Amino acid sequence: MPALYIMIPAALLLVGAAIYLFFWAVDSGQYDDLDGPAHSVLFDDQDANHLAAIDEANPPQQPPREPPHA
Amino acid sequence: MTSACYHCALPVPAGSRFTAMILGERRELCCPGCQAVAEAIVAGGLQHYYQHRSEASANPDTLPVQLLDELALYDRADVQKPFVRHDGDLAEITLLMEGISCAACGWLIEKHLRRLPAVAEARLNLSNHRLHLRWADGQVPLSRLLSELRHIGYAAHPYQADRAAEQRAGENRLALRRLGVAGLLWFQAMMATMATWPQFNVDLSPELHVILRWVAMFLTTPIVFYSCAPFFKGAMRDVRTRHLTMDLSVSLAIGGAYLAGIWTAITGTGELYFDAVGMFALFLLAGRYLERRARERTAAATAQLVNLLPVSCLRLDSEDQSERVLLTELALGDRVLVQPGAVLPADGVILEGQSSIDESLLTGEYLPQPRQVGDGVTAGTLNVDGALIVHVRALGHDTQLSAIVRLLERAQAEKPRLAQLADRAAQWFLLGSLMAAAVIGLLWWQLDASRAFWIVLAMLVATCPCALSLATPTALTAATGTLHSLGLLLTRGHVLEGLNQIDTVIFDKTGTLTEGRLTLNAIRPLGELNSDQCLGLAAALENRSEHPIARAFGRAPLPATDVRSAAGQGLEGRVGERLLRIGQPAYVCELSGCPPPATPEQTGQWLLLGDRSGALAWFVLDDRLRSDAPALLAACKARGWRTLLLSGDSSPMVASVAAALGIDEARGSLRPDDKLQVLQRLHAQGRKVLMLGDGVNDVPVLAAADISVAMGSATDLAKTSADAVLLNNRLDALVQAFSLARRTRRVIIENLLWAGLYNGLMLPFAALGWITPLWAAVGMSVSSLTVVLNALRLTRLPSASVKPLAKPPVAGLSRAGLE
Repeated sequence: MPALYIMIPAALLLVGAAIYLFFWAVDSGQYDDLDGPAHSVLFDDQDANHLAAIDEANPPQQPPREPPHA
Repeated sequence: MTSACYHCALPVPAGSRFTAMILGERRELCCPGCQAVAEAIVAGGLQHYYQHRSEASANPDTLPVQLLDELALYDRADVQKPFVRHDGDLAEITLLMEGISCAACGWLIEKHLRRLPAVAEARLNLSNHRLHLRWADGQVPLSRLLSELRHIGYAAHPYQADRAAEQRAGENRLALRRLGVAGLLWFQAMMATMATWPQFNVDLSPELHVILRWVAMFLTTPIVFYSCAPFFKGAMRDVRTRHLTMDLSVSLAIGGAYLAGIWTAITGTGELYFDAVGMFALFLLAGRYLERRARERTAAATAQLVNLLPVSCLRLDSEDQSERVLLTELALGDRVLVQPGAVLPADGVILEGQSSIDESLLTGEYLPQPRQVGDGVTAGTLNVDGALIVHVRALGHDTQLSAIVRLLERAQAEKPRLAQLADRAAQWFLLGSLMAAAVIGLLWWQLDASRAFWIVLAMLVATCPCALSLATPTALTAATGTLHSLGLLLTRGHVLEGLNQIDTVIFDKTGTLTEGRLTLNAIRPLGELNSDQCLGLAAALENRSEHPIARAFGRAPLPATDVRSAAGQGLEGRVGERLLRIGQPAYVCELSGCPPPATPEQTGQWLLLGDRSGALAWFVLDDRLRSDAPALLAACKARGWRTLLLSGDSSPMVASVAAALGIDEARGSLRPDDKLQVLQRLHAQGRKVLMLGDGVNDVPVLAAADISVAMGSATDLAKTSADAVLLNNRLDALVQAFSLARRTRRVIIENLLWAGLYNGLMLPFAALGWITPLWAAVGMSVSSLTVVLNALRLTRLPSASVKPLAKPPVAGLSRAGLE
């Protein structure tokens, strides 16, 4: 099982990186409010920018414009 | 027939003329305040708020009054200095928000503020109601932002973190890090350990076996020394104070398993217990973290004492010109002008004017007390009728209000030991397993000394994790969650277990068993007009008044004009062509010249309504019993508890409330330290006391009682010193808590028995080598699952067993039908 000689250090490195990331996330306050973000995702459906983006993706059928008169 | 206000869900008075176009329909609103807020929200293009919200909004009238000139004070640089940080052009501030009812409020506030050009960032923390704001203060003053928030129905106060709050935030983050480290490292340690098990060990070379053992040790060491540090600290404290708690047995199990693991890692003989250490630590830390978060919820609104006092007041200079200053700028000997409806900023003596003062918060007196020149007044009480000029005699720490807070600190120090003996069932189980391990260890020492250590360790590790790390916390967490959905928020861990030991209950009267505000009890017409007509006229007059009594009359269908108030006397005004007066009999009868009719013999506050031709009607205002108070008392009686009513109120209402509810003993006109003495006497008799209260005068007793519950409408100080808070003020949630506490106790004991029995049966077989580790692992998981599922039964609401006593279910009980 020579693979383990690489896999074990890799696992240790990964867990070290995960702990570093987790500490950074805790210290930057990402876990301070566990209620708000859960809801705010839902509200953004009515966000003006979001609706504009939807409109852009599905352009409504525009009535053919009259050619400009000279 | 009334409908509910679309904004705040309070009833809309008949003939209301307040409406607004919301979401394409004309909606009825209850008052001009709601109308203004709703129109501001719609005008800002944020009417989707009404689709998002899950709770009704706060009525703007219930928010504290913020005067324009008070807001302007916040624009002064010296005032801003403690709480505004500057970063280039941008200023940064944290505001404490009032009026937030659900998650949609956060959306509304953030959207509304971000739309302002000067605002760079607006972020609301929903769990502690703090708004973090960055904006260009060169373009927009702070007072403008505060008034913008006011327009959409929220009150904001600058928030300055005190040291205690900062420390708590730091501790929270540390607890979360400990939990994360334990979790992340445990997964890895478990993989390394499992590879060494004979079942998975297909072709593991001896060298790799050694490496895996050392890797597991390397990964487990931070769990023991970083994540589990609080357990070891707690155990050290317990050894010093000679108390047996969970910390001690947890430390024994973790320490023992870790040492055994090191031994195995080095010598290669024996069982590797590193994965058990990690699992044990993770479950325990997770349980404690959840408990801590529940506690944080109430500590969130921590401005505490400051909230009882106004932020600013009107100071008079030598030429009697009033100027608005911050409370901190006030000095002893100053003269302050206190307008009707304002809170007194300091202790002092009245120099000019007469008024009545609402002291219910501090003393429990439910009727406003008359005060005149020369009388003393206390900070934190409400000036009701007339303008007063007060000579400041005591400020800040010297006020009577602060004296009560100091009493609170003393009471907290004397809090009985119930908290530490919380989990008795676990105590016995723990003692039993420790003793059994010792006895069996001794036995094996005689038979085969080399195996004794491993057998004892196997017993400790096998009994502790499942039974102790899952049985108790899962049951408590499930029950706590259920109570939260019923409206009872537990903030300290011992409440559920402690409820089973209670034998005495102390109630406060004003605001706890009663509504705590004056309501209209009866109308007695004296003239040709009937009750409804009289009420309409009285309401028209009172609607123009800021007086707290005025609210009792509800909204008026008719407008009144030329309303003038005579301090301490009453109101005069015109409804249509009729000149009316309401208030003291002598004042009202001046108008017609008739002799005042005799005041009826009944407690409460009597107001007379009259016009030029004579008296029209008596109105009696009184504090009403809460509708669910009798059910609560019945539930206490059914459990054989002694009930006491301790009130600061000196009126005969104390006795009448006690008689109506059948309370065993009632005492009135008690000061906070008198209440504390009564409690201490009960403690001396060996009684376990539950206290239910709301006012500042209850705070010392709340802090000293074995278990204390504060009403949701209570002052912040009362809430933070109580063990639990009744969020929705419904007393029947408490009745359900009583029965849930019993069920929780039963489930904990069942869990402990189950886990103990299972482990006890498994151990001899495991010791004899009849059960392979794989089957043991499967069995262990099934046993853990059983324990968790058993605990989850507590998330169902109590069934009909308590219902004969309680009132019909109000809301949220429909799920009980599933049982």
